[in-house]
Amino acid sequence: MTVTKFMVTAAAMSLSAAAFGAGAHGHGHGNGAVTGEPADASEATRTVAVAMYDNYYEPEIIEVQKGEVVRFVVENHGQLVHEFNIGTPDMHEAHQAEMSMMVEHGVIQGGKINHDMMAMDMGDGHSMKHDDPNSVLLEPGQSQELIWRFSSDTNIEFACNVPGHYQAGMYGDVTIK
Amino acid sequence: MNKRLITGAFALLMPVMAWAGEYDLTVDRVTIDTGDFKKQGIGYNGASPGPVLKFKEGEDVVINVTNNLDEMTSIHWHGLILPFEQDGVPGISFPGIAPGETFTYRFPIVQAGTYWFHSHSGFQEPNGAYGAIVIEPEGREPFRYDRDYVVQLTDKHPHSGDRIMRNLKMSADYYNRQQQTVGDFFDESGEKGFVATLRDRMMWGDMRMMKADIEDVQGFTGLINGKGPEQNWTGLFKPGERVRLRFINSSAMTYFDIRIPGLKMTVVQADGNNVRPVSVDEFRIGVAETYDVIVHIRDEEAYTIFAESMGRSGYARGTLAPSEGMVAAVPELRDAPMLTMADMAGHMDHGDMDHGSMNHGAMNDDTMDHSAMNQESMNQGDMDHSAHGGGMPEDPFYASGSGLLPTASNGGKFLSYADLRAQSPLFEEREPTREIEMRLTGNMERYEWSINGIKYEDADPIVLQYGERVRFKFVNETMMTHPMHLHGMWSILDVGAGKWNPIKHVISVAPATTVYMETEVDAPGEWAFHCHLSYHAASGMFRKIVVEGGPDSSVAEGEQSGKQGGES
Amino acid sequence: MSRVMVSMWGFALAATAFAAPAFAQEDPAKKTQTAKNFWGVSAEKLEYRYSDSDEELAVIEGDAYYGTDELKFRWLFAGEWEEAHNAWETLENQFVGQVPVDDFWDAKAGVRIDTPEGPDRVYGVLGLTGLAPYWFEIDTNLYISDEGDASVDFEAEYELLITNYWIVSASFESLVAFSEDQEIGVGKGLNSTEVGLRLSYDLIDRSLAPYVGVVYERKYGDTADLARDSGGSTEDWFAVVGARVMF
Repeated sequence: MTVTKFMVTAAAMSLSAAAFGAGAHGHGHGNGAVTGEPADASEATRTVAVAMYDNYYEPEIIEVQKGEVVRFVVENHGQLVHEFNIGTPDMHEAHQAEMSMMVEHGVIQGGKINHDMMAMDMGDGHSMKHDDPNSVLLEPGQSQELIWRFSSDTNIEFACNVPGHYQAGMYGDVTIK
Repeated sequence: MNKRLITGAFALLMPVMAWAGEYDLTVDRVTIDTGDFKKQGIGYNGASPGPVLKFKEGEDVVINVTNNLDEMTSIHWHGLILPFEQDGVPGISFPGIAPGETFTYRFPIVQAGTYWFHSHSGFQEPNGAYGAIVIEPEGREPFRYDRDYVVQLTDKHPHSGDRIMRNLKMSADYYNRQQQTVGDFFDESGEKGFVATLRDRMMWGDMRMMKADIEDVQGFTGLINGKGPEQNWTGLFKPGERVRLRFINSSAMTYFDIRIPGLKMTVVQADGNNVRPVSVDEFRIGVAETYDVIVHIRDEEAYTIFAESMGRSGYARGTLAPSEGMVAAVPELRDAPMLTMADMAGHMDHGDMDHGSMNHGAMNDDTMDHSAMNQESMNQGDMDHSAHGGGMPEDPFYASGSGLLPTASNGGKFLSYADLRAQSPLFEEREPTREIEMRLTGNMERYEWSINGIKYEDADPIVLQYGERVRFKFVNETMMTHPMHLHGMWSILDVGAGKWNPIKHVISVAPATTVYMETEVDAPGEWAFHCHLSYHAASGMFRKIVVEGGPDSSVAEGEQSGKQGGES
Repeated sequence: MSRVMVSMWGFALAATAFAAPAFAQEDPAKKTQTAKNFWGVSAEKLEYRYSDSDEELAVIEGDAYYGTDELKFRWLFAGEWEEAHNAWETLENQFVGQVPVDDFWDAKAGVRIDTPEGPDRVYGVLGLTGLAPYWFEIDTNLYISDEGDASVDFEAEYELLITNYWIVSASFESLVAFSEDQEIGVGKGLNSTEVGLRLSYDLIDRSLAPYVGVVYERKYGDTADLARDSGGSTEDWFAVVGARVMF
């Protein structure tokens, strides 16, 4: 029972990762909406520093031009693991289910990420790797870059999908002009 | 963001007070109308519940309390950390406030969050003398919302507190209308067989205990912000908003199971302290506890706030709606739970066994194991279940097999104490300097309640030294659930999470369980410590705590520095 | 006998006073934060009885108390008013002190004064009252009269919940005397038994519960003979209607 559930989740996660890798995502609600795609650092027109706290971001609103490539420098100033994920509210909701599993299975443990657990092969080549290109997952004190091209003007939020964090308000709005 | 917050605050339907540092309260005779009945009672500034007092962290408040009653009164600021002379317990903090007198409370606000205040004199609190406290933090809060509402619950009874106490003393089951009947016997015989049912009844009869002893005082009307189910307190929202609900259980005796069908609730604060957000479908609020939840409401619909009493003898109901007058369906009360033999385990040991020996030790290890597993470790949910070999959910804060174990009505997530983690630790983790065992004891038939078998009137005070960190071990030997409240100092609930253990002011202890809390003894003076069920406290489940020494005492400091550094 | 009892009481009270720790009296919160003294008035029976031989009786049985968990003073009263004679056939007043002796049992000691139509009696009383396993309410007393006669009564009651408001209570009472007291119609040995079955409805909380029922009374042995000699019956069926009250 446990193992089956685990594998189903792992499979689902890999699938969504694959979908992102292809630059498209298959959620029914979005009418084929795409939030954008990863880009190269050299294309970035500006850098936005995003600070993560427990449990909120600074800033909470980011304005971009449609088609703009932004280099995000994300740093976790909190005591807990946080995510910075660019997506639509529906995408975040779907991702939250996966993140709950990661917490339940000990991949995220409050202030730590268990990388061994994350990389563990669940069979069929699935794992709980958190390697979506639209997202970074950081332990306290860590910092990472994410370069993103905002090629669409759909409703986009950046959000932390660690269970409870998004619901408590750890999200920000991306305003596209 | 800030603007949005303030707008939210002004949208409160409660009497709003200024942000100034000086406040006036009058204690008055009032009429309380629950929709079911009208009753003379006690209120503040002419109403019950009293106003929502809005403080700001860092301010010094001055509160002038004028007693317009013909009897003594007092106000206790429940959960606030303050000098003991300001704590408002007659006979411990101060003599009380005489009729016609104005007493001025002065204390600094050193915390933020949702709290409440109530009279600590006689049964004035069950008679209506309570109100809410909302403290705005100095910095930003670790969560976001567009507006907030206080949702203050109580169990208003048509009888006065004195009368209820007297009736319980005359006949402990005076208010219990959920006792098992002849009809129940035959229904159960049909299911489980006549002999099994008869044996069950004989077993309970032999102990002279009732499975239905969950709610001592039934016959109340559940109120939300002073409004009965028919009067339907309503909080307005705009679709898309996040609404913060500040639940406060100001009941004399009643635990509530709270849900909002159609909405997930994200718990962000417990007893005024931020906790790591946890999304739930339902939660149980013990007497005198507070929980702050955030709900994200997307649709333009009305939602019912439904608070069933733990024993299902009554409920409170309110509504969240996009516009005044909109309502949602009100669910039926679920079937009343019944205590099981598991809930009696603590009671049955009584007499035949030496306490603190094997049996409790074992129980205790069990508790610790569970919470340790829950703690940020792997696979807790699923592994636990398979280890227990059955589909029955477990919660380390209920006896295994307890009849009181709650489940969410939609089959979803029900909050457990084991889910609570401090959002940021308030104290450094260190080894406790000593452990104090408190057996929660009583005699239901006589309606006598005590600690370690001794009623308050016969007990010496508990003496603590300033600078200690004391570990309290609660062993519940009764079949009732007791919300234990320590005044003046925080109760750090041991959920096995080390420095992330949540900080509370009320620790609810279910029947036949052992629960630990630790307290940093950092507040000199004399404090009250008691079960917050009004009629349990008044019949003896109460202690005075004396904290000797103080910040200047060198002895205490030596002790403190010697013991620090137990980082988890 | 009574002097022994009085001195025992005195000793017990003195011991309580001395045993209380010094702290106990210094903490004023023990007064403000504790509900200590209670009172109550109730009438378990307040009923009219019609016998199968057309006898009509008004019966009252009740008590009032004041006290603490540790010591209660209780006044118990019981009487049967006979319609035909316009007189109290029985009339008892007991004044007792009551102390807990176990989780479920209280001991009682005091006096009983009987002032019915006919000769009066004063008794010393020692009793035990409480809850036995399986929810039987028990009350039993030893009486020693001013004439030197000893007797014991025993009462048991069981409540069966048809619903949480409709309650059937079954009761059994008996009286055994160790010596004859002919003047008041008491023979040696088992005097009488009374069995009752009442169906009540809790109308207002538990303060008022009207009921109907049947009662069967029987006298035995010498007591029965004494009753026959004075023209009374030895066996009666009654239909009863009344109310239980509690304040």
